[in-house]
Amino acid sequence: MPGPARFLDPAIVARLGTIDLKARTIVEGFLTGLHRSPYKGFSVEFAEYRQYLPGDDLATLDWKVFARSDKHFVKKYEEETNLTCHLLLDVSGSMGYASGEVTKLQYASYLTGALAYLMHRQRDSFGLIAFDDSISALLPASARSGHLRMILLALERLEIGARTNVAKPLHDLAAAVRKRGMVVLISDLLDEPANVLDGLKHFRYRGTDVIVFHVLDPYELKFPFEQAARFRDMETAEEVMAVPDSIRQDYLDKMQNLIAFYRRELGLVGIDYCQLDTSQPLELGLMSYLMTRKRVL
Amino acid sequence: MSGLTFLSPLFLIGAIAAAVPILLHLFHRKTEVVIDFPAVGLLKRAPVQQHRRRRLRELVLLALRVVALLLLALSFARPYFAGAAAPDTVPLTVIAVDTSMSMSAPGQMDRARAAATKAVAAVPGSHALALLGFGDSAIVAVEPTTDRSAITSAIARLEAGATGTRFRTALARSSEIIGTREGHVVIVSDLQQSGWESNDDGGLPDGVGIDVISVPPPVGNLAVTSAERRDRRIVASIQNFGNTEITAPVRLFTGGKELATTEVTMAARGAADAELLGSLTGSEAEIRVDDATGYQADNVRKVLLDPSPAIPIAVVVADPTGSTGGLYVERALTVAGDGHEFAVDVRDGREVTKWNGADQPRIAAMFVLGTRTLDRKGRDAIRNYLNRGGQVLLAAGPDVDPGTLADVLGTKLSFDEEPVRTAGATMIASDSRHPIFRPFLNPSGPLGDVQVEQHRRLKDEGDRTVLARFSGGDAALTEQTVGDGRLIVFTSDLDNEWSRFPLNPAFVPFAVETARYLTKSHRPQRSVAAVDIRESNPAATTIGEFTNAIERTTRAGLLEARNAARDIEDRQRWWQVGLVLMLVALAGEALLGRRTT
Repeated sequence: MPGPARFLDPAIVARLGTIDLKARTIVEGFLTGLHRSPYKGFSVEFAEYRQYLPGDDLATLDWKVFARSDKHFVKKYEEETNLTCHLLLDVSGSMGYASGEVTKLQYASYLTGALAYLMHRQRDSFGLIAFDDSISALLPASARSGHLRMILLALERLEIGARTNVAKPLHDLAAAVRKRGMVVLISDLLDEPANVLDGLKHFRYRGTDVIVFHVLDPYELKFPFEQAARFRDMETAEEVMAVPDSIRQDYLDKMQNLIAFYRRELGLVGIDYCQLDTSQPLELGLMSYLMTRKRVL
Repeated sequence: MSGLTFLSPLFLIGAIAAAVPILLHLFHRKTEVVIDFPAVGLLKRAPVQQHRRRRLRELVLLALRVVALLLLALSFARPYFAGAAAPDTVPLTVIAVDTSMSMSAPGQMDRARAAATKAVAAVPGSHALALLGFGDSAIVAVEPTTDRSAITSAIARLEAGATGTRFRTALARSSEIIGTREGHVVIVSDLQQSGWESNDDGGLPDGVGIDVISVPPPVGNLAVTSAERRDRRIVASIQNFGNTEITAPVRLFTGGKELATTEVTMAARGAADAELLGSLTGSEAEIRVDDATGYQADNVRKVLLDPSPAIPIAVVVADPTGSTGGLYVERALTVAGDGHEFAVDVRDGREVTKWNGADQPRIAAMFVLGTRTLDRKGRDAIRNYLNRGGQVLLAAGPDVDPGTLADVLGTKLSFDEEPVRTAGATMIASDSRHPIFRPFLNPSGPLGDVQVEQHRRLKDEGDRTVLARFSGGDAALTEQTVGDGRLIVFTSDLDNEWSRFPLNPAFVPFAVETARYLTKSHRPQRSVAAVDIRESNPAATTIGEFTNAIERTTRAGLLEARNAARDIEDRQRWWQVGLVLMLVALAGEALLGRRTT
């Protein structure tokens, strides 16, 4: 992972300083890679110039600049938007799990920060709602300058909460959202799947676009444990004695069924679903967001 | 009292390795107790029972590993059971009690036991104790122990035997028991003078203390020192070992019945013959002298009355007619013992084949003068006879086929192909003390007159002893063992063909003494006494004389021997390296076993 793109690696991002720096590093690294990638067509237009690259549409060349500086620059237009985005971040106890350096909550925070930074660059209006079984932090959507800093500060101060109850904050927020907009849910979705689905459908019924980032740890996906152990639930403290070898396949089947359920059921109601692994680069999350935003706009 | 102890207790340190699997078990058990996990809800239907079974299996595996390590260390520590065995570092007192025949006077052994018990009580409590009973030999009745009741119990069981006395043997055995530690010896004995007369070795190392407790001998003792039959009489010699003249009755018994009695008077420290006349029937007679105060075992002597049966000797020849082969040997042997000593059976080689297994044990000795007519069975018969303890004289004359000798004798015996011809080689005894040459006190006497014209030259004198040589240096008479038997080889003939030896005056005593030597195990003793006559003499030394007679030795030799043994063991320590590697391997196995669970 050479160049700025290496900063999309969660483990490297975790070693950076403030969430502000992390978010900026992620987004800049992502955008740099994006400019050089075949996916640049998904890009938004920014109010800036950049050097002409072979293959750019000649119509986008700024001839005035060329006349003044004898250099080719492509003119990027700032898009007028009225998109309002709500970032819903799960801070329940289960999000504190980490098999490696980065907990699911940290990973989700980086992604949230990066999305906020990206929205700020796009002049979108965005807000933050952190929740476990209730809303623990709420920053209403805004496009004002300085709002990004408040969001990032809130992310930095987040603490692990109690049990997960995704449905309740979803219903509360769905009732409060009045404008057409977008909801981004970042959670491990370790709640009753039917309740989660009901809450998300509530948004769709109100015409709000939704993207769900299902954040899971690699150990949750592979269950690579070897020793017999007592497994304690991080939210309920319930303990289950188990021999990994003998239950692994059963567990993996259930996990895959759960992922397949969300992907299928959410897809049926037009909700974008993206399953993320905390060992994977954050690029995938950002890319999913941009694809959804493009569709919304 | 018995207990488990170890020859190499340091190896018990290896038992610490048993803690490794336990620690691994406990360590890993702690880490596996709880794992925080978010998706426990998906584990709820996991087969927990299987986990419990696996835990049980792990515990059994752990126990087996621990036991294996403990047993390994225990085995290499070389455990053994010993009766309250005292460690080598504890000072040791050896109680040595004389149990020879000279302690058999009435009441004498009681006094010895009492003295020994008293000596045990006087031994410091810090000392271990060992008990030794000695006569001709020294036997450890109780190994070094701190259990004094075991010592006193063993003392109470000591009885006088019929053996002689050897003080040096007792002292040597005591020294051996004490070894290099601090030691003390208590001798309980009648201090009999004859106990020092044996040509044995032994003393006490420097620094080993000694106490001598004298159990006084009887003031006098009578002993029947010899007895023989002279026609219808028994003549017995009675020895008075006392310092006063004494008259004592002497009785003759046969078949448990008293046949005759007589009284003999003996001067102080003198002897007298007793003649007892009676109808001597039965196989043996018994002569007894009345001696109430002296040693009891020497008051009786037995005399064999039956004429000894003739000892069967087989002479194997190669002469088909049997007319001349073996003639001289047969005639020489039949005159021995007034014609009653040997029963000579001359047989042609072909008749040997007919011997069955029952015949052979009855033959006391075999003279093989010819082998040419022996067939395979005959050769096997002689070879088996020899290997099973038979006594054979082989005269390697012209009737002996050297090519088949290995088959006949079961051992390699190589001669030159052609006999050595001389103008008349004389025979000279190499070992004139050998019983065969007993009649020839002067080697240059009758044996030196023997002239041999032809003899066979032995290629290899190997493992055989040369008893006589011809004047040219070749072996004339050799002796060797074959299997359990004995083989004497005369390298010329005894049939007057290669020499005129059979016509020489030395031939008869040579043949007879050779036959007697070969048949000595078949010869009964004519007069039997239960004890060594020297043991009958109660003359004793004083404690001072006894103590002065003890030779003091250094422990250097003992220490050197121990150090040498230790050096050898040090050089053979590779097995200990193997042990260490084995422990490491087992510990590694335990570790891997834990990781794979």
